[in-house]
Parts: sequence; C-alpha cells; structure tokens
Amino acid sequence: MNAAEELKQALPASVVSTGMQVEKPLVLVKKEDLLEVAAKVKEMGFDHLSVVTGVDYVDRFEVIYNFFSYGKKENLVLKVVLDHEAPEVGSLTSLWKGADWLERETYDLVGVRFTGHPNLTRILLPEGWKGHPLRKDYDMSVEQFVTIGEDGEDIVSTDGSNLLRRK
Amino acid sequence: MMIANAYELIVYILTTIGVYEPINNIFMSFGLDDILKIIIMLVEIAILFAFVLVTIMFLTWMERKVVAMVQSRYGPMVTGPRGLLQPVMDGVKLIGKEDIIPEKADRWIFTLAPFIVFVPALLVFIPLPFGESLIISDLRVGLLYIIAISAISPVAILLAGWASNNKYSLLGAMRAVAQDISYTIPLALAAIAVVLFTSSLSTVDIVNAQAGTWFGIIPKWFIFIQPLGFILFLIASIAEMGRIPFDFQESEQELVAGFFTEYSGMKFAMFFLAEYAHLFAVSGIIVTLFLGGWNGPVIPFIPVQITSLVYFLIKTYAVIFFAMWLRDTVPRVRIDQLLNLGWKIMIPLALLNLLITGFVVTAGVIQ
Amino acid sequence: METEELLINMGPVHPSTHGVLRFKLRMDGEIIKECTVVMGYLHRGTEKLAEMKTYLQFIPYTDRLDYISAMPNNYAYVKAVEELAGIEVPLRAEYIRVLTVELNRIVNHLVFMGSLLLDLGASTAIMYGFREREKALQLYEMLCGARMTFSYFRIGGVRDDLPDDFMSKLNEFIKDMEKRIEDYKGLINGNEIFMMRMKGIGVISAEEAINYGMTGPSLRGSGVNYDIRKIEPYSIYPDLDFKACVRPECDSYARYMVRIDEMEESLHILRQIADTIPKSEVVATQKYGIAPLTGMPYTAQTYFPRIFIPPAGEAYSRIEAPKGELGFYVVSDGTTKPYRVKIRSPSFCNLTAIPKMVVGLKIPDLIAAFGTIDVVLGDVDR
Repeated sequence: MNAAEELKQALPASVVSTGMQVEKPLVLVKKEDLLEVAAKVKEMGFDHLSVVTGVDYVDRFEVIYNFFSYGKKENLVLKVVLDHEAPEVGSLTSLWKGADWLERETYDLVGVRFTGHPNLTRILLPEGWKGHPLRKDYDMSVEQFVTIGEDGEDIVSTDGSNLLRRK
Repeated sequence: MMIANAYELIVYILTTIGVYEPINNIFMSFGLDDILKIIIMLVEIAILFAFVLVTIMFLTWMERKVVAMVQSRYGPMVTGPRGLLQPVMDGVKLIGKEDIIPEKADRWIFTLAPFIVFVPALLVFIPLPFGESLIISDLRVGLLYIIAISAISPVAILLAGWASNNKYSLLGAMRAVAQDISYTIPLALAAIAVVLFTSSLSTVDIVNAQAGTWFGIIPKWFIFIQPLGFILFLIASIAEMGRIPFDFQESEQELVAGFFTEYSGMKFAMFFLAEYAHLFAVSGIIVTLFLGGWNGPVIPFIPVQITSLVYFLIKTYAVIFFAMWLRDTVPRVRIDQLLNLGWKIMIPLALLNLLITGFVVTAGVIQ
Repeated sequence: METEELLINMGPVHPSTHGVLRFKLRMDGEIIKECTVVMGYLHRGTEKLAEMKTYLQFIPYTDRLDYISAMPNNYAYVKAVEELAGIEVPLRAEYIRVLTVELNRIVNHLVFMGSLLLDLGASTAIMYGFREREKALQLYEMLCGARMTFSYFRIGGVRDDLPDDFMSKLNEFIKDMEKRIEDYKGLINGNEIFMMRMKGIGVISAEEAINYGMTGPSLRGSGVNYDIRKIEPYSIYPDLDFKACVRPECDSYARYMVRIDEMEESLHILRQIADTIPKSEVVATQKYGIAPLTGMPYTAQTYFPRIFIPPAGEAYSRIEAPKGELGFYVVSDGTTKPYRVKIRSPSFCNLTAIPKMVVGLKIPDLIAAFGTIDVVLGDVDR
C-alpha cells in the first residue's frame, strides 16, 4: 500500500481520489481540507516539501505539492483544484517554513491566494505589478516600467511616467 | 665632524663644494641669514616629500605586483616597462574624474577630511631616520611625536564618515575609530618597552643603541631581546594601518568601501595615498625600533649616508613585502574578534612584556 | 542611554551579494535584528518563456538559470521531459551526462570556494579557483563549443559524442585537480582566521534545515544524509562508487567542508567514468513523437525528432545539482510546447533559511553565512 492509499484510509472524507504521477503516489484533496491533510502528511513522515506548483487550466487552477520523506525515502504528491474566479487555498507555512517563499512565488506568478500566509506579497515581481504572468490570460502586449523610488520601494507604471526624473 | 640631521648635511655638502660661504655672505650682507636657513629647510622638506610621494606611487605598483605574484598572474604590464608607469596613469585617471559631493553631505567637512588624513601621514616622516644623518629633525620626543601624529587620522576618518551622510561610511568610520583606539595602546606599550633600554624617545638614539653585534654575529637589534614586543608591535601596526586581516574601515565585502564610499576623484586619491604613506611610515618605524634602523655592515669608500639609506630601505621594503604578502594570504577577521584580540590578549601581553623588560633592565642583564 | 535602530540596505548592487540581491537589515549597532530578502531583480520569466517554446527550444533557457553550473540545469529539464514521455536514454549518453554534471559540480564548488573566500576578504582563492575552472571550461569547449551556457543535452541523449582526445584531456585534468585540492585544503581549511569566521556562524539545526526546505550541500552540512544521487538513484549513479559527504556541525564551516569533500568525490566519479565508459549511441533513436506534417508517428530514424510531442500528463523530476535539489515540474497538454514548466531551484529554496540564520549575528557573519549557502541569482530569480 502506497502513501496515497494510506492517506485515503486515514482521511476518507478529505481525499477525492488517488492515482500515480510517474511512479509517485498522487492524491487529489478537497481544497477546504488541505491543511488537515497536510498535517496528516507531515505526521506520516513527509518532512520535505519539495515544490509548490500552480497551474492555470483556464477553467480551473491546480496547486500541486510535491513531498518527500527523508525517513521512508518515499514521494507523495498532493493536488488541489481551485475555482478560476477566486483561487484560494490554505497556506502550509505553519507546517513547512519552506512553503513561505514557494507560496509567495505561486501567488506572485500564478495569482493563487494562500489564506493564512503571514506575508503574502509579491516576491519576484515588484509590488504593484499588474497581472500574474503565468496565467494563460496574461496580457503580454502591455509594457510595464519599474523604477526604484526614493525610499527603496518599487514603482510600476504602464506608461513609463515614472521613468522621467522630476524635481 | 658629526652631522646630526639633513639640514647640517646640506650645509656640509654645500660647504664641501664651496658654494655655502659665498651664498651665506650674500644673505648676511642683507641681514637675512634666517631666510637662508628657511630656504634650506624648505628644500630638504621638498626632497623628503618628493621622495615619499614617489615611494607611495611605487608602493601601489608593488602591491599589485606582489598580489599578482601570489595569485600566479602578471599584474600591470602595459604602461611602461613591466607596468611601472601604472601609478601615473592611475593618478591621471583620478584627477580626471568628476569630483562628486553628495547632496546631503556636509560640504566643508567632507572636503576637509581627506586633507586631515593626508597631512599627518606625511608629518610622521619628520623624525624618521632614513639613514645616518638623513633625518629632518631628531626630536627628543620623536617616538611620542609619531604616536601622537598617527592618532590624528581616526579623527579625520570619523569626520569623513560622518560628513558623507551614508550609513556604510559611518559604520566604517566607527569601526576605524574603535580599532585605532584599541590598537594604539598595545602599540605604544610595545614601543615603550624598547624605550626602557634606550632611556630616550629620540629615534636616532634608538637606532644608535642597536649598533654593533653580540659575539660578533648577532646584530644588536631589539627584535632579539624584544621578540614578544616585536610581534605585538607588528600586529598592532598592521591593525592600525587597516590592512587585511584587519581592514575594517574599508572591508569592501561588508561596507562597500567603508568611510570613503562616497569619495571620488582626487579626494579618493588622497585617502588612497595616505594609506600607502602610512604603510611606508609604519614599516620605517618598525625597522627603527626593532630591526636596527639604518645599521648594517660598513662598506669602505662609500659615504655612510648612502649605505645606511640603502640598509634602511631594504629592511623597510622587507616589512612592506610582509604586509602585502599577509594581505594576499589570509581572510579578514570580524570586528568583535579584532577588538577582543586587542583588549583581552594584546594589551595584557604588552603589559607583561613591559614588566619583564623592566625587571631585565633594572637587573642590568643585557647591556 | 538612547539608542536607535539602524536600517541598512545591502544591495541590489553590493560587492558580496553575488549578483543583484537585496537585504533589508534592521540593525542594533552591528547586530542584525531582522533580515528581509528582496529579490527579483534578475527575473526573466523563464517559466513563461517555456510555455512559448517547443520542448527542444527551451533547453538553452535552462542554461541561464544557474549559469555557474549549467549542465545540471540541462539535465534536470531533459530528465523531466524524458520521464514524462518515457524515453530510454542510451547508456553512453548517460555516462556522458553524469561526466559533464560531475565536472560541473567541481567547477561550481571551485567558484563557491573562491567567492566565499573573497567575501571573507582573501582575494587569492578566487584566482586559484578560476585557474582550475578554466581547465574544466576548456574541456567543455571541446565538448560543445561553449564555456558557460552549454545547451549540450538533448531530449533522449546528448548533442554529440565525445571528441577523440577528450578522455586524455580529462585524465590530465583529474590528475592536476587531485593535487590542487590538496593545496586548497592546506591553504584554507586549517587557517585560524578562516575558522574563526566560519565556525559556529549561521547555525541551522537539521530539523530546521529540513523544515525550511534546504537541500544539497547546505543540508548535508547540517548532518542530514540526503543526496538524491544515493536516495533516489537516477541515471548510472547506482553503478558508481561514491559517498554522500555529510558533516554534523550545522555551521558555515561544515557547509564549506562538505563542498570541498564533494569535489574529491566528484573526481572519484570522473575517474570511474573515464575507466568504464561504454561504446554506444549518444541519443535515443526509438520512434518517439509525431511528425507534424503527416500526423503519423516517426518511423526509422537516426536522430531524435526536433519537433517532439510527449503524451499529455505531468511529471516532476529532481536531480542533485551542485547547489541542491533541482527539480522541473513539466505539464504537457499533448502539443509541441509545454503547458507549464515549474522550476524548483535550489538557490531559491536554500535562501529561505537566511533570515532565520542570521538574526543576532553581525554583517560580516551574514556575508559568511550567505556565502556558504552558495546561491546564484539567475537561479533565485529565474
């Protein structure tokens, strides 16, 4: 019995389905119960959160968590499906501190909101950037200009007005 | 006839070639014999400063070459033979640079600070004996004068750091001051141990005390009777110079460039030159105090002034080379580790050294 | 006494942030109270670019992630696509891949050593490091014509076979490098000042390191015996004799020592490969993918197709890159272009732990700890 089935037995109400993702057990989880499942996953010994991936499928968002267990040397993949209109899911920062930046990055580039995240701000793009680039509907024809202001904070504009030096 | 200093040397040379008397008579006839003295003094000071400035330029070249040697590179090779003219090109470049004064800096202090750093760096050379009778002025408190003059530079560094209105500059300046204060004490204590032997603060007396040999082989240098003092003085002076492993005032990787982050052009060059002037001066002082000064085997038919100058320069460059070699070999320590070393290890050791020296001198074991 | 907290901004242009990284430091005198990392100055949208390129076209972009060691980037991406499509790679190609990756590990650690010592104020180590790196880069130049951005890997193999005199040059390099590593150990490892600066600095316990998602040498410096080459063996690593280098001290010195030990292990691997590399094709020639014109599967051929369509699906594959765990999450929707490529870069994830590590230390310690994490900003910002 692999980790996915074990998880399904432990929390049958939260797990939608199980499967495989190229030799890695995959669990599709209800988005409301993610935190609960993740706590169980951590309890099962999956102490390494390898990556958090957000994918825009136009009609839905998927957030995929890849775990690894140093003790058992096993992989596990968690997947949640989110609405396209308001992609929101619980944050795992309370369980894995490494999730902090990974979730911020997912928020920044894909636009998935992680509720309960202590500091959900943009990480790679400057604060004030319009749109989330890894969404399929991101408009790449709009140029955005970034400068650093007097106080060291980023200023973004689409018309380049911030590029001119003003007295 | 004993020639005490460079003034008398110039007078002696002029007398020997027979021009001193007529010139002196001309000045005497106008009742201006003091003016002649002043002119001769200005000439000797000009010679000293020209010599020091050329040495500084040479040192910047030498530093690059030593670094290159250690790192299996060539170093500057293009300007002049083996890149010897590189310092000149650097100077031309720095003069040509825009002189930027930051908007929020304190203009006057910002401009003044490089000069306050540079002038004491040159003044240190006045009681430094370059050779037999090659000294501007043999002050009776020569050593005290040197230590006192060196203590001006942290003030100027603090001014520079403060006036720049830059946090890195301020941090660098604060570090420099903390470091200088901590290391001036062991430096002075180690020097005083030498003074206990000579009973004189005059640099010439100190050098003369080191003339001769024991058993015909070992030169009577203070390094052999003051090994601990020498090591303490060497470490403290490298710290005072602010070179790696103690270069906190700049510490490029932490504070960008420390107190001269905001300086550019000629003002930057002043700091840069002062640093090398300091290196040369401190090495000269180490040689004077511990390595026998200008003393060395006497070579017949060559005036002692020339041989002594050569001996002095050889020893000084050996010390300078050591400092440069050190710079390329070790990483930088941390500021708190440096202060710990200064206060908790160096000062007690220096005091101990002073105590032992006091006993030895009182008991008259070595003389 | 009235004191005031000092807000210091380090970067984005600063001598020791290894590129364009910015630290916002809240300081009490010289002590760091809080460290905030600001990044993204080198963000090039690599993941977005991937969605606009075919699978093959994306390989050169992976070079630009961790430009100090580009081969592992190639490898991680190619491996993910191969896992997705189930492609078998010829044995010789696997040997060449491991050879190039391990050589790159040595290059990376040489640069790491040099830049760490440079951060500590010793300028000589980087010159020595680059002297040896140059020889390795010349080997790469023989191999693929490039010195830093190789693009040598192809889906299903590598671009070309080894040149004729490559092996003899490699053996020379190995012999030379053995002596050099001994030199470095003698010059650096026991240096009193170096140890004063590194020991007990930037301590992070094994539990914390795992929790923060640290991987690679940085994690092994905290005593966790985790090397993907050992634990999830891929390629030919099961056949090779090497050991994962672990140090239990959890501090900067341990992280440094792990990397120095790893260089020796990598040399050992190179030696084995030089002895045992088999003869075979270097690129998979089975019938993979679909010809775009006819819509039919490719028939007999001797090269891997340029336009290649893996089956729809997704795969996450990780390798042990010199800096840690490098993973590519590739989603295919059954077209010629990847639907989504997510890069799990080791630099980014290891950097997460820096704010935790440096609280209560001084600026010089921040630089020492940051240096031993060994990040490349191209990899952090992507």
